Amino acid sequence: MDDLYLDNIDEFVNDQNKIVTYKWLSLTLGVHVNLAKQMLYHYLDQKRKEGSARLHATYLVSGKFVENGTTSHKVSVVREDQLEDAKSKMSLTVSVHVYSVQKAVLKDSGPLYSADYDAVKENLRNCSRYSAIRCADAVPRSSAEVQQACETTQAPPPETEQIKANHSNLASKPTSKQPKGIMGMFANKNVSKNQDSSKEIKLEQKEVTPVVETSKTKPAPKTNPVTNFFAKQAASKYFNNPISHTVGRTRYFPLDSKTKRLEHSDSEEEKNESRRKKRRRIKKPEPDSSDDEVIPDSPPQLQEKRDPSPSPEIQVKKEPVAVSHSDVSFHI
Amino acid sequence: MFSEVSAPQEGSCSLLLCRPGSEDQEPSVFDRVKPAYSPCSERFKLGERSFNRQYAHIYATRLMQMSPLLTERAQQKWGADVRIRKLCDLQMGEQCCIVGTLFKHMELQPSILKEISEEHNLLPQPPRTRYISESDELILEDELQRIKLEGNIDVDKFVTGSVIAIYGAEKNDGKFTVDDFCTADLPPQAPRTTLSSDRFVLLLSGLGLGGSHADSMLALQLLVDMVTGHLGDQGEQSGASTISRVLLAGNLLSQSTQDKDASTKAKYLTKKTQAGTVDAMRLLDEMLMQLVSSVPVDVMPGQYDPTNYTLPQQPLHHCMFPLSSSYPTLQLASNPHQATLDGVRILGTSGQNVKDIQKYSSMDSHLEILENTLRLRHLAPTAPDTLGCYPFYLKDPFILEECPHVYFSGNAPSYQAKRITGAEGQEVLLVAIPEFSSTQTACLVNLRTLECEPIRFSSFSAGDDEESEMNISH
Repeated sequence: MDDLYLDNIDEFVNDQNKIVTYKWLSLTLGVHVNLAKQMLYHYLDQKRKEGSARLHATYLVSGKFVENGTTSHKVSVVREDQLEDAKSKMSLTVSVHVYSVQKAVLKDSGPLYSADYDAVKENLRNCSRYSAIRCADAVPRSSAEVQQACETTQAPPPETEQIKANHSNLASKPTSKQPKGIMGMFANKNVSKNQDSSKEIKLEQKEVTPVVETSKTKPAPKTNPVTNFFAKQAASKYFNNPISHTVGRTRYFPLDSKTKRLEHSDSEEEKNESRRKKRRRIKKPEPDSSDDEVIPDSPPQLQEKRDPSPSPEIQVKKEPVAVSHSDVSFHI
Repeated sequence: MFSEVSAPQEGSCSLLLCRPGSEDQEPSVFDRVKPAYSPCSERFKLGERSFNRQYAHIYATRLMQMSPLLTERAQQKWGADVRIRKLCDLQMGEQCCIVGTLFKHMELQPSILKEISEEHNLLPQPPRTRYISESDELILEDELQRIKLEGNIDVDKFVTGSVIAIYGAEKNDGKFTVDDFCTADLPPQAPRTTLSSDRFVLLLSGLGLGGSHADSMLALQLLVDMVTGHLGDQGEQSGASTISRVLLAGNLLSQSTQDKDASTKAKYLTKKTQAGTVDAMRLLDEMLMQLVSSVPVDVMPGQYDPTNYTLPQQPLHHCMFPLSSSYPTLQLASNPHQATLDGVRILGTSGQNVKDIQKYSSMDSHLEILENTLRLRHLAPTAPDTLGCYPFYLKDPFILEECPHVYFSGNAPSYQAKRITGAEGQEVLLVAIPEFSSTQTACLVNLRTLECEPIRFSSFSAGDDEESEMNISH
């Protein structure tokens, strides 16, 4: 029984021309690493005694090494001929053992890495089974626990000082301190409406509204197309809002001379509801139609499409563009 | 020292250079030590992010938070009766102390305004390693005004964004002549609990996975094998079991995975090519899988890792680690990261703050810069001027409120460690973690004695005759 492994190693080294490292041997034979190291030594020893010494070995030497007055712990893999030299350089040798046995002379240590790589990759699940250290904490979680952990990390606590609503995943009503004024109305309504849509788009648009607010002071601002577009987006989202107060609404006019749809926004309490429902229904097939390589429409082109069409279609066209824009512009 | 911990017992020859023992001799298995760990980097985690704010708010809150500390230090240094003046109340010729934020005016600093200004017709400035020059000027700003500084102050050693107190007088020409200055110095430190046995933390950074040359892959494998207890003699394995935690401080992926072509090439040419980071992340996940099955690991992102660019960098997302994220021992941390391990407070970054200060000052040594940031009591003074930063406005989370016991920064060109003592008896171990991909060196910090030791991995290569050490040029 004891010598079976010798035959195994013989087969690996001579017949298959493998580089047999201790780790590979331990994983292949299913033995403790220290035992594998001893097995390799035994094999080497026996073969050398027999005289069929066409084998080469590499050793692992580790110990304390003093260099320019600094001591460091050094771990190195050396060829057999360099072994004594390496040992003499260390001021304190901690461990020496056989690292690998192979038929050919290794000029380079690269193959040692690749020899282990495949074996480790196959046995990743239980790579520490044969090691000399056990860690009590290192038990993989069940998939249910992982799911739970994902959800808790997905919803970090919102910063109360920021003018943001809570995630729609967590709460339908924002529980954090309500920001005052216009933002409060935005935050309130946007959250309750955001059940289906992706969080990101909503955040984008919420973030946009402060931009819109701050720029309202200029009667005819020289906005670049991007902010103009966002302003339109926000306006449309806002415009869906049943609590779309007149205060906010009037502010959009100076910014958006190009869009005519704002003129519709006078009486839409009822229309909003139906539009919202319509929006939701239409929205579902969208993820299929939009793929990652959709280049967002440039703002002027979007406007031409928008003018003759009624508002629900605007919403429809908005969504994929919003998604891409969020991919393009907002990712940091 | 780690070597002494792992040294074999007296008199016993190497156990592994012999035949396998008899059947009943069980191979020894050691248990990993379990320290008390608690992460405290909540202030570096960002929830909802809004970039609508101006960056001026960070400076305002920084000054507001640090002024009382500096006034106290000034009074300690120059007497309790020293006059502390606001810049608007300055009187000519009066010796007084002013507190404010430094601004360094550098000619060579890249300025977006100059670049896009049509009248200059300038080409964009090529990136340099250093942006300092002889003509740099220091200006002190407080809440309302600013004033130029000259005199007994070394312009090259300071960077924009540091809050300091200056003692001197305003002379006739409207500049403030400096006699002396003082920084906020080290914050108060909680005493650490004394440990009974040696416990180690392995600090590692700059793995550089996915790079074009695989020089350090075997060294990395040796490191993983050593930490997980595969490598070495029994003594070494028992020593490795005292390594209670591994901290990866950034740059897990190599710079070459950052595909610059994506931004310049047309999209239809790059459509089918996979990003370089995908394979590199898979390698990282496999490596982490080996580590987390045996030791708790903290993973911090760095400059080239797939997370956000601005500081504080958010933790890498767990979906990128399908294999290793199922282990509770994997902790994905932010950059900067702060944690308490067995009563020892560890704080550090992946090195972006130090590298940025290096570009804008004359200091070369990462350790010196690290010490400077500690004395300034601010992790990243150059944020947001030259270092990307999130526009905070209520609080500046980079101000050090409590003194750490171990303060590190990753991706240094070489290993450096130093122990410093503060005025109130604080003891800090400063560690500049070297880049593993070029130096194959990691750091072992002993939590009991607060000492650090480098640990080097090497193998042989074709070009070596007399020595087995692998050099960088492979």
